[in-house]
Amino acid sequence: MTNIFSFEVLSGVLRTMIALSTPFLFAALGETFSQLSGVVNLGVDGIMLLAGFFAFYAVLLTGNVWLGLLLAMFIGLLMGLIMSLVSVTLKAQQGISGIGLQIFGLGMSSLLFKVLVGTVKTVSGFAPIKIPLLGDIPFFGPILFRNNFLVYAAFLLVPVSWWILEKTTLGLKIKAVGQNPAAADSVGINVNRIRYFSVCLGAILAGVAGAALSISVANLFQDNLTAGQGFIAVALVYFGGWSPIGVLGGALLFSFATSAQLWLQVLGIQVPASLAVMLPYILTIIVLTISVNRGKQPAALNKQFFRGEN
Amino acid sequence: MAGMIQRIEMKGIVKRFPGVLACDRVDFDLCAGEVHALLGENGAGKSTLMKMLYGMYPIDEGAIFIDGVERRFRSPADALDAGIGMIHQHFMLVPTMTVAQNVALGQKSSKGFVLDLDRVTERICQLSADYGLKVNPHDLVGHLSVGEQQRVEIIKALSHGASVIILDEPTAVLTPQEVDDLFVVLRKMVHEGHGLVFISHKLHEVTALCDRITVLRDGRRMGTRPAAGVQRNELIKMMVGRELKALEHRGYTPGIERLSIRDLRASGDRGVETIAGINLAVQAGEILGIAGVSGNGQLELAECLIGVRKADSGNILLNGADVAGMSLNERISRGMAIIPEERMRDGAVNDFSVLENVFLHDHKDKAFRQGIFLDFKKMAVHAGKLVHDFAVKTPSLETPIKNLSGGNIQKLIMARELSRKPTVLIAAQPTRGVDIGASEYIHQRLLVQRDAGMAILLISEDLDELYELSDRIAVMYEGQIMGIFARQDTDIQTLGLLMAGIKPGDSPKAGSLIAACED
Amino acid sequence: MKSNRIFVAFLLLAVVASTAFAVGDKEAGATGAAKPLRIAVVMPSATTDLAFSQSMWSALLKIQAEMGGPSKLELKYSENMFNVPDAASALRDYASQGFDIVIGHGSQYGSSIREIAPDFPTTVFAWGTDVNTFGLPNVYAYTAAAEQGGYVNGVLAALLTKTGKIGVTGPVEVGDAKTYIIGFVNGVTATDARITISKTWTGSFSDVALMTAAAKTHIASGAGALTGSSQSVVGSIGAAKEAGNVLWFGTQADQAPLASGLVVASQVYDWTGMIKDIIANQKSGKLGGDAYVLTLANGGLKIAYNPSYTIPAAVKAKAEAAIQAIKSGAIKAMP
Repeated sequence: MTNIFSFEVLSGVLRTMIALSTPFLFAALGETFSQLSGVVNLGVDGIMLLAGFFAFYAVLLTGNVWLGLLLAMFIGLLMGLIMSLVSVTLKAQQGISGIGLQIFGLGMSSLLFKVLVGTVKTVSGFAPIKIPLLGDIPFFGPILFRNNFLVYAAFLLVPVSWWILEKTTLGLKIKAVGQNPAAADSVGINVNRIRYFSVCLGAILAGVAGAALSISVANLFQDNLTAGQGFIAVALVYFGGWSPIGVLGGALLFSFATSAQLWLQVLGIQVPASLAVMLPYILTIIVLTISVNRGKQPAALNKQFFRGEN
Repeated sequence: MAGMIQRIEMKGIVKRFPGVLACDRVDFDLCAGEVHALLGENGAGKSTLMKMLYGMYPIDEGAIFIDGVERRFRSPADALDAGIGMIHQHFMLVPTMTVAQNVALGQKSSKGFVLDLDRVTERICQLSADYGLKVNPHDLVGHLSVGEQQRVEIIKALSHGASVIILDEPTAVLTPQEVDDLFVVLRKMVHEGHGLVFISHKLHEVTALCDRITVLRDGRRMGTRPAAGVQRNELIKMMVGRELKALEHRGYTPGIERLSIRDLRASGDRGVETIAGINLAVQAGEILGIAGVSGNGQLELAECLIGVRKADSGNILLNGADVAGMSLNERISRGMAIIPEERMRDGAVNDFSVLENVFLHDHKDKAFRQGIFLDFKKMAVHAGKLVHDFAVKTPSLETPIKNLSGGNIQKLIMARELSRKPTVLIAAQPTRGVDIGASEYIHQRLLVQRDAGMAILLISEDLDELYELSDRIAVMYEGQIMGIFARQDTDIQTLGLLMAGIKPGDSPKAGSLIAACED
Repeated sequence: MKSNRIFVAFLLLAVVASTAFAVGDKEAGATGAAKPLRIAVVMPSATTDLAFSQSMWSALLKIQAEMGGPSKLELKYSENMFNVPDAASALRDYASQGFDIVIGHGSQYGSSIREIAPDFPTTVFAWGTDVNTFGLPNVYAYTAAAEQGGYVNGVLAALLTKTGKIGVTGPVEVGDAKTYIIGFVNGVTATDARITISKTWTGSFSDVALMTAAAKTHIASGAGALTGSSQSVVGSIGAAKEAGNVLWFGTQADQAPLASGLVVASQVYDWTGMIKDIIANQKSGKLGGDAYVLTLANGGLKIAYNPSYTIPAAVKAKAEAAIQAIKSGAIKAMP
């Protein structure tokens, strides 16, 4: 039996963790923008599915991963526009329109897959890029610096999101719109425009998350490829207290638990498989219960904005 | 300052809401360097008119001219661009952000896309020094007092470059001292060439601060008067449509002790002690007023007295018996009556008819029953009499009470409570949101009951009301009684200081502003 | 309200799209002149899953072609019936529409078949994988002795792996997924006891991404060959393909098309013999009561070698020997 505390095992656990966390990071960071502006988008999973399918299909036809990524972003944008139209302009209940979007994405991706592809096919997705010098660092090199473009982009997105939210006028506007839309409106901020922007940005990133699944992690498409990962991404936003750093922590923790339980099984540690599978979820529930993030929740989350009503 | 607005004219403004004509061909104008008051009762159309000037509502008819040029505002952004700012009754601040972030919101940054909070902080300190607006730019807005939040709002408007600022009921939430401070700031702004619109329904404030006064009633302009030399009665007549009768305050001859509160302690909704050992007594034939800034335990005191909040310790003696552990029903049967602060929540059932609301409590009374059934004929006679006696304006006894005006609902609740012939009345904010005519009526009724020997505990945030009605006034601050005074022995200044927690002889609290801006 | 109407329209669109997902209700036949035989099947996954559902659907299509096309055999299917109550109502619908043979292709449909079959005494019901006919005269049960092909795959894997390590992935430890892996492990250890085998169960039949990660974990820990069962195994094949030098052993259907260079062999479930038998019985008036078990001996299980992967002759000979020994009973794949 392999020593579970060996360097190889730890490195393996961490590498799997990094790969698994990529789709979560894109989807959850996107959802953070959306929720900070006051819109809960429960359709993330549906966006990931449809965008993931198109990314896969484009790569299947052309072999060009960049085209796949671009198409996924475009599909994300379209679905973000639908979500904004229904919940911002038409002021429908966000929860219901999000679930509608999810069902739509699930059904449409499945239908298109059946009609256009039919059977399981694999593609070659984003190839790993070894960063010179850094990639040769023992232990950390293979974990951190021999990943593909999407993995680097996901981790780079964390500080970028933080910077946008904390240091720019746009970030200030997004947060104001989510906390007190009437106040934002009264100083001339176009509440609906900011919400459209945030929801669409979130949806584009959800599209990238879908592409990360279909042309980076799994390199194939199948019915319900996400298996609910979009919903976990939404939960990670609460988990992370609406901050990019918190979301990063949540995504890493969840992916680490998943990766660790796989390794436990591979190494033949005598844990019942059904218990091991529960590990990430149990861990998430425990952390959610301990960490109190209620105070950070955008006050206008899930609330439609009507001018002139206080 | 360059580009200051010299004159704003609103001509023939009409605004319709479903079923209501909120503004009916209203004219209004404002010049640089003046304070123009908009005076009127609740629902007269003051806020609506100004929200149109601020671009929040579109105008149905009429036009706005700024320095002679017609302007159409589709959003507050347009109005801000034109140099008009508004300070709303409910502050438009983000509590989770700092003062500086709130001020930066919606403004162009000197660094383009990137926030420049240092520049904004500098500007806040400068405005704060120029106008005497004490704020710390680094404080979280959610931690500030109401008065401080208002100063942030003013700084926000000024830093947006507003040359005309609309203030919607700015004094409603302030202590008298804070009102005085605010007026100093406003006068300074006028001196610098700003034009101010001051929305209020308080006559003495309007006459003390403003240059001109425009009165609105039911969406119509009743007239504009220069503030200098205007008669109070004339303004009231314009607001209410008739003259008010002077209140008759007969001699003070207190009788036996009806209500006695001994060392009462209770906790608020968040578990913090909000009533910290209160001793009070109300005698037959007197009105004891409780003064205080909202949130200093008055609400919890009223709730303890009527039995919906459990006291942690202490006694409440009602006609000699300790009722602290008793239910509301038992208290009522021992002679207590209540006019609750939240009349639509605690005093009436919105969807019930006038008749049903009259019998909310007394439906168990044998006088209105036939066996196990209610005797609707007798009930209708009783309710009809109350409606008549208390001049409640209602289309019928079957009308749902939510269709009545605030004043009429309050009159009905009062009629219902007094018809039980109680010996003690707890009246919490009896005239808040009630028009002047109905207020006057309620005040008269309260005095009549006092003269007839009732013991009345009157909780109010309106110092004028307390002054007019009370025989004695107790001031509450942070759950304690700061002092009890006979009406003729005190003045508004003393009360105001006590309401702010400052006992005579204390030095005023040192401001933290200077330190904040010097680093 | 206008906004509400648009919103409702949006929801409807979503529901329509989802229906397309939940029930791919398609007809593979047209009504001919003479009354054809009619068979309906309800499946938990897609007919194109390259595994369990596809194995049944291809068997039916093959029989249809042999019988002379849709005019002789009318076929209908409902796929992706993860939800058992939905599947139950589909089964009942097909029975009441007068289908001659109704197949519930999933072990989770047992209780539904038991409840519905007595209401349609002239309809033939078949379900699997299980051996329980509930004592009902119109119910057949069927299963596959997956451990037999598993054993053969195990022999091959033990001889071909270059690292001395083999990884096994699976969804949940039940049914033929479980027996296949037991047989596989027995085959490996009987051939070379020094080889380490590690197993992972992901707990989900549908989470492809997790299955991929599990397979990558095996590869990272040095596995030179992988196997596994259930439809989500496609994720593992993807990982093996990405790694490039890891062999794959398939089950349920021929998985060679997924990665032609890496798939050595697949155990194929061939339901044709069983279905033909049920059809013949139905014509002669026997509506049920038997339990079928696919084995190597009765031809229901086959080992499909991937023609584009060259197996050394000595290795192939050992696999064939194992097949013969299992057929003759000399080797028990699952003692």
